[in-house]
Amino acid sequence: MAKPPSVGQFEQLVLTAVLTLKEDAYGVTIHEKVGELARPKSISLGAVYVTLDRLEDKGLVSSWLSEPTAERGGRAKRCYRMEALGERALQESTATAQRIFDALVQALGKEGARQWGKRWGKEASG
Amino acid sequence: MKAAPSKTAETILGILIPPACREEVLGDLHERYAGPVRYFGDALSAVPCVIVSRIRRTTDPQVLLMEAFALYLSFVGVARISGQSSILYEPWGLLRLAIPTAVTLIALVLADAYADPAKRSPIKPMVQTAFCIGLAFLSQATFWATDPDLAVPLRIMLYGAGISLVLVSALRVFFPKDDNRPRGAT
Repeated sequence: MAKPPSVGQFEQLVLTAVLTLKEDAYGVTIHEKVGELARPKSISLGAVYVTLDRLEDKGLVSSWLSEPTAERGGRAKRCYRMEALGERALQESTATAQRIFDALVQALGKEGARQWGKRWGKEASG
Repeated sequence: MKAAPSKTAETILGILIPPACREEVLGDLHERYAGPVRYFGDALSAVPCVIVSRIRRTTDPQVLLMEAFALYLSFVGVARISGQSSILYEPWGLLRLAIPTAVTLIALVLADAYADPAKRSPIKPMVQTAFCIGLAFLSQATFWATDPDLAVPLRIMLYGAGISLVLVSALRVFFPKDDNRPRGAT
């Protein structure tokens, strides 16, 4: 079984968006979903395109052109689908995030870790 | 009726966006359209990124390095054997010879990024290289007209371009661009 390549934080967000959007994963919807996940940071459409290209080159997602639609001026969508390698890469990232949280709980206690997370969230959004 | 971007704006963007990703990017920008300001902002954020991403996907650094070496060696070699080796010892002489090399390389990188993956031809590597060397000639013509001190002598340009054409075309035939990454059903 091939070892999944390591993925950065923004790549994790894009992979999560592709996974959760399922059949409806294409440029516009992925950008909206990543924007939600990355709040309060604003995300540019170009950054999403670059990351999708990179994930495709790594073999974590694949893409195909759909039928053209009138609401897009008669142009097709490039739809994305998560590949098995992508799922494994995301699982590894999630496991790492869980281990970080567990270490915080061990050091600060469950309530302390929660408060620490909330405080960090407020500072990031402020 | 849903507002739509102007045809002129879409045509200009269509020219700027590489053909390989033109369809989906123009479609996404159209779908997100909510006024000219937002459309311009979206285009400004998306178009440079898709161009850079396309260049990254179509450029093989190793082949590019070989092409640079072949081009520069052609011009330096011709200067050495054509009886005009004095240019090699002039101040900035080697840099002058690097100008047509750099122009051709930039043109080759952009030609690859803007190539239509649907259009394939066995003579494409040669035609593309000839076109890019033609642009190097055009840049030299500008120097001949404005600042002849920076221009490479015509004889070196002619023979150097001929040898470059053969070497770079051969490199492109032996190391074809890998722009057919696996996509799902297209």
